[in-house]
Amino acid sequence: MALPTKPKYSMALDLERCTGCHACSVACKVENHVPLGHFRTKVYYLDEGKFPKTTRNFLPTLCMQCEDAPCLKACPTSSISKGSDGIVRINANTCDGIGCCEDACPYGAIYIDPVANVADKCDFCTHRLEQGMQPACVETCPADVLVFGDLNDPESPISKFKAKHGSQLSVLKEKERTKPSVMYRSKNPATLAKLEKKVPKGRNHDPFSYEIDTWAQMESQFSPTNQEREHQAAKKGDKA
Amino acid sequence: MSADRREFIKRGIGALATLAVGEVILLTPGEAGAVKNFWGSHVARPNATKKGFKRVVNDYSRATKVKSVCLNCSTVCGIEGFVIDNKVVKVRGNPEDPNVGSFMACAKGQSGPTINDYPERVLFPLKRVGKRGEGLWKRITWDEAYDEIAQRIQKCIDEKVPEQVAFQQGRSRIAAETAHFMNAIGSNTILNHRALCSLNKRAANYISLGETDWESVDAENCKYFLNFGSNFYEAHQGGFHLLKRVIKARYDHGAKLVTFDVRLSNTAGRSDDWFAPFPGTEGAIALAMAHVIMNAGQYDKEFLKKWTNFGPEQLLAWLKPYTPEWAAKLSGLEAKDIKRVALEFAAQRPAVAAFTNRGSMAHYNGLNNDRAVIMLNAIVGSIGRVGGYCYGELEKLDAAIFPPPEPQPPAAKTRTDLEDPPEWPIANRWQKMKVGQIVYDYIKRGRGKVQVYLSYTVGSPMTWPEGRSLAVEVLSDEKLIPFHACSDVVYSEMAHYADMILPDATYLERWGLDIRNNLELRPYVTLRQAMVKPAGEARSFADSMFDIGRRLAPNAAKYFEFGSHVDFVKSQCANIPKGDSASGFEYMQKHGVYTDMTLPKGYEIFMKAIKADQLEGARVDDKTQVIYRTGKDGKEKPIGVMVDGIARRGFATPSRKFEIHCPEVTKLSAKVGIEVDGLPSYIPIPSHENLPSERFVLTTFKWNVHTQARTATQKYLSEIVHDNPMWINAGVAKKLGLKTGDWVEVTTFRPKGHTYEATGEMLGSAKIPVFVTEGIHPRVLAVSNSVGYFVAGRAATGKQTIRDDFPGYGPTPKNDDLSQHVWWDPARGGRGNGYNINAVLPIQPSPVSGMQAWYDTVCEIRKTEKPATRV
Repeated sequence: MALPTKPKYSMALDLERCTGCHACSVACKVENHVPLGHFRTKVYYLDEGKFPKTTRNFLPTLCMQCEDAPCLKACPTSSISKGSDGIVRINANTCDGIGCCEDACPYGAIYIDPVANVADKCDFCTHRLEQGMQPACVETCPADVLVFGDLNDPESPISKFKAKHGSQLSVLKEKERTKPSVMYRSKNPATLAKLEKKVPKGRNHDPFSYEIDTWAQMESQFSPTNQEREHQAAKKGDKA
Repeated sequence: MSADRREFIKRGIGALATLAVGEVILLTPGEAGAVKNFWGSHVARPNATKKGFKRVVNDYSRATKVKSVCLNCSTVCGIEGFVIDNKVVKVRGNPEDPNVGSFMACAKGQSGPTINDYPERVLFPLKRVGKRGEGLWKRITWDEAYDEIAQRIQKCIDEKVPEQVAFQQGRSRIAAETAHFMNAIGSNTILNHRALCSLNKRAANYISLGETDWESVDAENCKYFLNFGSNFYEAHQGGFHLLKRVIKARYDHGAKLVTFDVRLSNTAGRSDDWFAPFPGTEGAIALAMAHVIMNAGQYDKEFLKKWTNFGPEQLLAWLKPYTPEWAAKLSGLEAKDIKRVALEFAAQRPAVAAFTNRGSMAHYNGLNNDRAVIMLNAIVGSIGRVGGYCYGELEKLDAAIFPPPEPQPPAAKTRTDLEDPPEWPIANRWQKMKVGQIVYDYIKRGRGKVQVYLSYTVGSPMTWPEGRSLAVEVLSDEKLIPFHACSDVVYSEMAHYADMILPDATYLERWGLDIRNNLELRPYVTLRQAMVKPAGEARSFADSMFDIGRRLAPNAAKYFEFGSHVDFVKSQCANIPKGDSASGFEYMQKHGVYTDMTLPKGYEIFMKAIKADQLEGARVDDKTQVIYRTGKDGKEKPIGVMVDGIARRGFATPSRKFEIHCPEVTKLSAKVGIEVDGLPSYIPIPSHENLPSERFVLTTFKWNVHTQARTATQKYLSEIVHDNPMWINAGVAKKLGLKTGDWVEVTTFRPKGHTYEATGEMLGSAKIPVFVTEGIHPRVLAVSNSVGYFVAGRAATGKQTIRDDFPGYGPTPKNDDLSQHVWWDPARGGRGNGYNINAVLPIQPSPVSGMQAWYDTVCEIRKTEKPATRV
């Protein structure tokens, strides 16, 4: 008889099934009261191919709950920790909102809440897990794209998914060597490699990669936006 | 920080200003899309850290769960809301709803709770004091509002012109309540939006099947989806119900999805095959596929012979000219693709479904396009079969099953051209679909007189073709519409042109029984219930109607003694089994839905044998084998058909067969001088014939995060889509020297042929930026709807401004991110809130049926400079 073990949470996203519906991202924003212009979860679009052989691909993103999390290392107040349950969390009581974690994140997954002035990001809806509920994004997905659960439980959806599709799973931006716990299943590795370039590094949101008319565009370097300039100025002000 | 700004913020904190009764405010769509007297400048507030402000975390241990039904689009999804401290903090799918079957909810469904909290909600009844459309309003009491409306209605009743009370609704989902109210008044002038929405699709199903207006594809068991112009991955009408099952069929069972759409929608972009035909040629493609399947002998001979009114030999002869080469020439597709897809489809029969939506049917020839597609299912025998093109029996709130409260008023007997225009004899044939887009013109021409105009869940200045011109012109004219009361949740463009605004409850704050087709193929019904009390003084419009009704003279008021809207709904629930609860109503409150999943799925409804007792006194027609029975009204009606010596229910068509040939269409068309053969033959679109190379076809579309005039006020949805640049094919853009972000002036033209104002003349023009893409047909331009508001608050107008507490609206939220994070506000370098393209689309009802031919508009473009201001 197996002894009950502590859970180790993980997620895999099956991109083949994704329809780009944004239900996960809106569910997340309502659930976590995420301010406009700031995101815990986001869905990117990419069009490929010449007319009429054109296809569309989607990439829902969230905190990768990295094993080797750069945000954790960058935090000057030691407010970020990785729990034994696999979730990287921010301690809002000690966070000073300075934003080093946002700068350090290769996945644009962290933002500074502009009112509470604390860093915030996906924690797999810990408050829901505590109530026996699934993360808001997982629960709302109509296509079972987001597969979530306890890796220590072989019967959990994530364990079963890994067993079935393990060889097809990959992580985003592997070169960043952050060892993400969030995995992706894609049948088109080349497309996924392009899509991950849309995910801004060191900033939470860039309208350039998110507006509806940049679907077919790829740029590794985002142009500075007013918002970014504001953000940087504000940050400098804070630091000074 | 300036002194003014300091003053502004100081006054903003803690002070809840309330508009006193009789006090006047100005709500004006100005240059800044702002409300005068309270909007701040466009400067972002510096990071306003509030000491001690903690992020809110939902504590579900304190939450109450309430089952209900979403109404952020028209799909009718069961939901459950989590309520903490009289606030809906969260919505998710209701797994007990057979269509939903899980906690899933789309982006719009998830966004629901933000409507309740929208700072720019109208919270008090307001009466116009300036000129109409000027925006000057006075707060009044509900009593004043109801008294005035009742007096005006009573005047129409007393003058024996009850039909001059007109009720204009959109997707209200209170049809039974509205009918009760309008019948009590004695007016049939109930105007709607169906001809702008789904008329041809419904008419095509009625013609072919008779039974239903909306098919229920047995998607999870389907092996091959042939999708003609439906964007069900994004838009409602099937929406998530269909999406969820198609995903399972495709990725768990290996089904294929083929999509025909002029534009790369998310559905098209994720299909196994995407074909972009020239607009309006979907029917030609379907006919060619029928030709291929028939000639290859890949059809269901038995179904065609026994269950259609047009046998295989007749079909083969009629389809002869409709070759793949002929369709290829019209559509621009390749004949080999048409052949391949047709044979792949037929090879998987009968677990296949060919279905449609606006892409195929919102055309001049849309009725026949859809009939041709539906016919493909009959040819391969997938009608009503496992994995096929199925349909249900109970899809309407039949008053006999869901009885409204007694006494019920007798049906109103009035008729006007507004709700029953004789020019489109099919529009009201099966259900009262009407021809909404011509109403304002008919009012203007005096073809229908209106004294009292009540509007609800409709925004015609936004959503009607020529809405910003003709609809606004008529709505502004006090001679044409002497009195207009609008019930809405926000200060919408409809409310702006009203004389009285009745602040409405949101769909999370009100009641209603609802129903639609069920993809689990069993009857069901679902309950919308108030999760929380309406904000401020807002009231559900159904309650307002009943309160107004009680203020009419006794012979009308007597129909409203039952009480409030919830009492009305309780009555409707009287026959619902009580199950584990004390009553049917309580069962519905607890579960949100009633269905019986132990019933077998409703496959092959047409095969149902007619019971002996039903056959008593029935007559079988020798020639047609149709079984007729005389009803209580003394009229003989077809109830079934003899097939192989067995009395079967058949289809609810005149021949009791699937009607490929519909003699009634020939008859009705002749009434308006149009000669048709009664078959789903291909009809060329007159304005597209010999289209000069510099002209394009302008189409519109819907996003997965928006629903027409409903959603732009919801910040998380507008954050995702706020702008609507015009899609243009990359090759064409290159030739014209256009790149993404360049501006063009688009000029539209009126249609030609047998339709309204068919002059082919210029209608209007608009300036709009372009989005260069590989995902659109070279002859097509596409602009989305749902955006481009000039009123309705900061989320809708894309204006980031600090607001003080404003009388008339609710208090400024403690954490008001619309004051500083509207990153798409042009004032901070954003793209803005888009353009309402409906303004330059002509009114063009398709012949005989009246469906708005949304996707036929001919236009020209020329490069232009970005305008200084965008309205």
